[in-house]
Amino acid sequence: MKKKTARISATLLAGTMICSLLAGCSGSTGGSTASSEAASSEAASSAASEEAPAAGEYEVTAPITIKWWHAMEDQYSGLVDEVVKGFNESQDLITVEAEYMGAYKDVNEALVAANAAGSGLPAVVVANTDYVAAYGESGLYEDLTPYIAATGYDVDDFADGLLVSAQYDGKQVALPFLHSTQVIYYNKTMADANNITVPTVITDMDAFLDEASKATGGVALSIPGWDQWYFETLYLNEGVKIITDDNTCDLDSDAALAVTQKLQDWCKSGKAMWCFGTDASANMRQSFYDGKTFAVMHTSSLYNNYVDKCDFEVGMAWYPASTTGSKNSEVGGCVVGIPSKNDQQTKNAAWAFLQYLAGKDVNMKWAEGTGYLPTRKSVLETDEGKAFLEEKPAFQCIFDNLDLVNPRIQNAAWSELATTWKNYMNEIMGEGADAVQSSKDMVVEINEILEDSAS
Amino acid sequence: MQTTKKQGAAAEKKPLLTNRQKSHLGDFACVLPALALLAVFTYYPICKLFQISLTDWNLLNDTWNFVGLKNWDWLFNGSGAKYLWNSLKVTFIYSMGELLVTIVGGMLFALLFNRMTRSFSFMRAIVFMPKYVAMSSAAVIFLWILNTDYGVLNYLLQFLNIGPVDWLNQKSTALPSVLMLTGWRVIGYGMMIYLSAMQGISKDYYEAAALDGASPVQSFFRITLPLLSPTTLFLLITTFLSSMKVFQSVDILTSGGPSRSTEVFVYLIYRYAMVDFRMDRAATAAVMFFLILLVVTVLTMKISNRTVTYDS
Repeated sequence: MKKKTARISATLLAGTMICSLLAGCSGSTGGSTASSEAASSEAASSAASEEAPAAGEYEVTAPITIKWWHAMEDQYSGLVDEVVKGFNESQDLITVEAEYMGAYKDVNEALVAANAAGSGLPAVVVANTDYVAAYGESGLYEDLTPYIAATGYDVDDFADGLLVSAQYDGKQVALPFLHSTQVIYYNKTMADANNITVPTVITDMDAFLDEASKATGGVALSIPGWDQWYFETLYLNEGVKIITDDNTCDLDSDAALAVTQKLQDWCKSGKAMWCFGTDASANMRQSFYDGKTFAVMHTSSLYNNYVDKCDFEVGMAWYPASTTGSKNSEVGGCVVGIPSKNDQQTKNAAWAFLQYLAGKDVNMKWAEGTGYLPTRKSVLETDEGKAFLEEKPAFQCIFDNLDLVNPRIQNAAWSELATTWKNYMNEIMGEGADAVQSSKDMVVEINEILEDSAS
Repeated sequence: MQTTKKQGAAAEKKPLLTNRQKSHLGDFACVLPALALLAVFTYYPICKLFQISLTDWNLLNDTWNFVGLKNWDWLFNGSGAKYLWNSLKVTFIYSMGELLVTIVGGMLFALLFNRMTRSFSFMRAIVFMPKYVAMSSAAVIFLWILNTDYGVLNYLLQFLNIGPVDWLNQKSTALPSVLMLTGWRVIGYGMMIYLSAMQGISKDYYEAAALDGASPVQSFFRITLPLLSPTTLFLLITTFLSSMKVFQSVDILTSGGPSRSTEVFVYLIYRYAMVDFRMDRAATAAVMFFLILLVVTVLTMKISNRTVTYDS
């Protein structure tokens, strides 16, 4: 009897498994029913965008509470509350609830999971500039172009590079929000005492590293290896495209290899430190605060943080120009957008909040309170803008070069490419792997990623 | 003719189900809810995972296409192979380390603390306590302990003239560092399991052995160890399976680095899905992982049937 029961149980279980497999396989060409519905909704939204609906279609007509996922740490909670309160009190229909979701990586994970589940999505969400292409390409972010057209929202006032960094394939999928760029922070007190200047051209870097390492008795420059954003500019300024027009990687070109080898030489000499791994950012900063490192390459958004923690004067310098004379930088920080799977009422409320969040009135509040750049050109000419520069004179180097802040490379496979690049760079800089061979191996791998992504 | 009629009437009266069949049906009714739950929450996801491994699903997209065995080809013959073997190697080394600590360390601690006094009871509680600490909290504490410049471990090592070690950022020390945390948490668990098993071994065996002139070491190897073999098997299987699924400590301590030297299998799957958005590749790796665990568990069970002593 037991045997028979076991046999029947097993048959039943196997039957269930086969049924579930068949059920799972039923949507063989286009995903599940829900997926198809979502796809139709996407198509409808796309069609709607082509028709450029009237402003009335984006009006909020009934009270609604929406969520805003952000990545601003506890130290900025007062500012976030102030801005949200300001919006909530400025009108009667929309109530915004701000939720801190962790770092950009954590926001991304939560967003992607909610998007795949189709529930629990926030109305407004920030995204590191890294993710704009992937979100834009997949349709995760709502195309804001028709909203902008219908409501006449002024986007021309945004700095050009910042505006483009929130676009994908010609569509405005987000708005510029909290932006930064790569800079070099240095110990100005030590620099003045030892008559050291941060070089403006890369060819002077060797001499600078010698002098600065003598001054600290150790490390002259820390280079963040945990995020390729900090070093990719060095390649781009040397004419390396990273992703070429024929969708291949040129990080094994002569120009790219020269940069890699130069970086490796600096690290091998001990004058530069490649920072990667656990707590790399915190360790790098601590070493700078302690006066053990003369200069660090980091994001301009942390200016307030550096100034508050250091008991010496902190200087800020632009990255040195390349051998070709190019001294562009890339935009960092985050954009803000609307997940497209939200219903239209939520999207309308989100759009109203988005306009406020990225608007001129609130713009300087973010810049003053966080250390991020003012995103609007017009505010630089205002009294607040001038006061900002007086309070943070080190930002002059950024304002002088604001036109050189370029949007990021936009490719749907960028995240995968970046992971591979960082890992190889860490092996080259941290483990002493052969720069040429590793670069060639890396490019083979990246080309496979790019080819796979394009197919 | 009459006989045939009688037979026909008997057949008509025969109930639809015999008592035995009714009993079977009752049995099924009892297990059906459990089967349904298993089917929905265990077998369906496994089947779905296999299905996804045959598609090109990017986590951000709602639509996908079947691509046949493309992902499997990538996993074994493409760039995925390198990372597959690397993570298998890392996971295997990690598992061996955790097994060693749980089984050998646990047994040694059990022998050490095998005294039923109040003070020993207190010490056992101290050793077991880390198991109660949430992994995320413990990992954050270890981040501080293992910090190169400001960590307690390097501070203590300097008294032994051992220079600061970059525990979490060197290939050679990153995995042992993760194992330090693991060992700290699991050794007490192994100890408690072995202790309870040791309490179940009849004292008669030891008295008889002592009468025959066996030394304590001989008693351990001839009595304790064989009679603990079911417990060892239990720890072996449960620890192996849980260690193969390690994720949280790696995520917090090293994020799979440096240079993938701590990229265990589950972290690899996580990276494909949540960092690269390649759900198809994540599913392929997950199915592969499932098959590996299945084979290893079946083999372990087969081997154990021949070697484990269940008579205590």
